This record gives sequence, structure tokens and C-alpha cells, in this order.
Amino acid sequence: MRALEPWVEAPLQTFLAESSARLTLLMTSSGQVVAQHGFSRSLDVMTAAALGAGIGASTEELARLMGSSRFEALVHHGARQSCLLAGFGTPRGRWIGLVVFGPETSVGIVQLFFDQMVQQLASAARRDEPAAVRLPENFEHELDASLKALFGR
Amino acid sequence: MTAAQAVLDRVTRVPGVRGALIASAEDGLVVAEQLMDGVDGRAAAALAGSLVGRLARTADGAGRRAPAFVQLRAERGSILVAPCPKDLVLIAVVAADANVGLARLEMLDAASRLH
Amino acid sequence: MSLVNFTAREITCKIVYYGPGRSGKTTNLQYVYGRVPESRRGRMVSLATQTDRTLFFDFLPLELGSISGFATKFQLYTVPGQSYYNATRKLVLQGADGVVFVADSQARRFDDNLESLQNLQDNLLAQGVDIRQLPVVFQYNKQDLPRDLILTHEEMDDALNFRAVHSFAGDALHGTGVFETLRGISELVLKRLAAGAVAG
Repeated sequence: MRALEPWVEAPLQTFLAESSARLTLLMTSSGQVVAQHGFSRSLDVMTAAALGAGIGASTEELARLMGSSRFEALVHHGARQSCLLAGFGTPRGRWIGLVVFGPETSVGIVQLFFDQMVQQLASAARRDEPAAVRLPENFEHELDASLKALFGR
Repeated sequence: MTAAQAVLDRVTRVPGVRGALIASAEDGLVVAEQLMDGVDGRAAAALAGSLVGRLARTADGAGRRAPAFVQLRAERGSILVAPCPKDLVLIAVVAADANVGLARLEMLDAASRLH
Repeated sequence: MSLVNFTAREITCKIVYYGPGRSGKTTNLQYVYGRVPESRRGRMVSLATQTDRTLFFDFLPLELGSISGFATKFQLYTVPGQSYYNATRKLVLQGADGVVFVADSQARRFDDNLESLQNLQDNLLAQGVDIRQLPVVFQYNKQDLPRDLILTHEEMDDALNFRAVHSFAGDALHGTGVFETLRGISELVLKRLAAGAVAG
């Protein structure tokens, strides 16, 4: 399990233990990864986040077009594994959760503990004020050299 | 009144029963419910569905048939679960002083009618 | 918005390739995908129609490498160029850290370029983003076509590049200007991140 900020870890850990989910990905509504469990390659996580955010955004637009409020969750039932995609508000903006689970658990259990995680995240975020982003002083200085090395020109 | 509502009506008439619901066992989702205030039907459906699934797998692993009735006794009451045909489960949330014997009879009878 | 993960020492930035239909946005990503070592890139996802026109977006995750000990990752997106896909363009544009505007250098596409640039400004503004505050570079694609069919780099600059931001001549199909453009936008995005975030 990897989380962008430490306060996300405990609620996510509880969710994973209770729900028996195979893969879990929390992302911002623009598709940036906040936390993940179960992915072995970071580049695959980014792809899943981009697709998850795309689905989330398009279903929200669809709901808006049909004059309803947001859809709370979207569930894809598969033969071997299923997937839950749900958006939720946090004090740090709107996030989306993508959960992949198998027959060892159920959509009811996943949804139940997902909602519990959302509540725990909300209270954990309030306790943990966001720190200002601070990069090393030499970051900009090293940037030119790094870009030259990375792009080889 | 639908068949599901009729079943729930019979179960909730038993003294001490605080609510009854029918859920899909595999999904753990509520199909129909009749609950008193303060009873979380969604949680009961999800957890009871999961419990029955696990018990069935355990029984199967031990070479036994799936349980026909489950009573989960807690400090302030019990959760009763009767697996039904069509992958449904009938769940009752009962108080500590409830007539569990009568509730069990009603649930087993009602469960057999749910098809 | 760029995400900086201090625990894992990672920076992730979102770059969107914008521009009119058939200007070469997807081709840019395909070229990058084909040339970057597999260890540095993820799968390229294309949500396209049956005729290979971008329907929702193309997506390519890249690992640029380490800068000051921070693993730097880029998410490259394209938007569908055709005018009737504006709703999906808006969605993809959300949270972009930088935009590459891929213009079609053909003289007959002059109005399409202008319309798409105006549409970019409108869509950013609707999200509360002033295009003047966002890192943007231009790529004038298809500069390999015969001279009488296209506008020159200078003519394209005159027509589109009012703020005199970095612009690159491109032939995305054969790779000319593709990495130069990516480097240009990467530099702007990371410098902006550094300027706003370096410990003072």
C-alpha cells in the first residue's frame, strides 16, 4: 500500500482489511494518484487513475445532462472480478475511489466499508492541515542538467 | 402486497424483532426491508450475506451441507439469518429478549415460500 | 495540479496536447511511446472511434527520471479535436499543469487552429484558469509538407502565438520536434512548480 500523505494510510488500511478488496486506487478527480494498494507497477497505476477519472467525469456529466445529481457509485460485475467506482468529497477536494474485488467478498461489503473509509478520510483530513509544497533549494538549478540528461539533447 | 413484503411482515410481527430484510447473498445488497429506526439495513445485508457465504464455504470444506439457519448472538440481541432459494437470505435483527424460537420458525417457513 | 509525494519523493504532472482535429496530437504521443524505453513508460491507452479518431482521450504515462532526488513522472493526455467533443475536452483539461497546442501548419486549416485556440482559452477560463498563467507551448506540425500548402514557422507564430511563448516546428509522423516540444513543456511546468514550491 502506498499513500501520498500519511493520514490516508489508516483509513485505507482498515478498508482493505475489512473489504478484502484486491486492488484499490484513490485519485483526484483530474486523475492524479493519491493512494493505491495492489498494483505492482506505478505506470499502470497512472493509467488506471486516468481511466477511472475519465469514467467518473463522464458519468457526472451524464448525470448533469439528465438533470439529476451525481451518481454515487458505478459497479461493473465481472465473471471473475468486479469493480466499484465511486466519487466522494473530501476537505482536500473531490476524490474518486476505484476498487477491484473478487468473489471472496461482495459489492455490499465493499460499499459498506468504502463509505466508512470516506467518513474516516474526511475526519483525518481535517486533523491534518496540508503542508506547503517545498522542494529542495537546488531543484531549479538541477532541472536544466536533468532535462538535458533525460532528453539526451 | 408482494411476496417479499408478506414475508417481512410475518417476521417483524414476532415480539422483539426490530427489523427484517431480504438480501442478495452473493452481492450483500438489500432486496426488501422492514426496519425500526436505528437499524442499518445496508450493513446487516452486507455482513449477513458475507457471513452466510463464509459459513457455506467452511461447511463445504468440512464436507457438510450449507447451514439452514444461523444465529449470531451479541450482547444486545441477535442477528438471525435463513438462506432462501434464488441466492437470497432472510435476515432478522432481534432484541436480547426476543422470542428467538418463534422467530426461527417463522423465518424458516417464510424462507421456503420465497421462490 | 502537480502532485508532490514527499514520502515516496515523487512529482507527477499532467500535460495535455490540445489542438484541432487531425493536427497530430495522437501522433505525438505515439512517437514518444515508440521511442521511450519500456521501463520508462506505461501502456498507451487510446479511447478512439472505430476509425481511429480520438473519442475521449489518449493517455501515456512517462517516467522522466530523477531531479534532485525526486522521481519525476508525466501524464500525457490528448483531447479529441473535433468540435463536437467539447464536453470531453473540458474533462480532460481539468487539473492540467501544462498544455501543448498542436497546430496544423496547412494554410487551409488556419481557421481551425484559431477556433481551437479560442476554445482552449474558453474551456480554461470556465475552470477558472487564465491561459496566461498556465505553461503553454506551440508545435506547428506538418512542416514537412510542400511549402505552397503550409504556413511557415514565423507565419504560424504571427497567427497564433500572441504571447511569444516557446514554439516548435514539427513533423510528428517522423518525430521532428516531438521531443523538443515535450522537453519545452516539461521545463516550463517543472520550473513553475519549483518557483512556487522551493524552500525559501
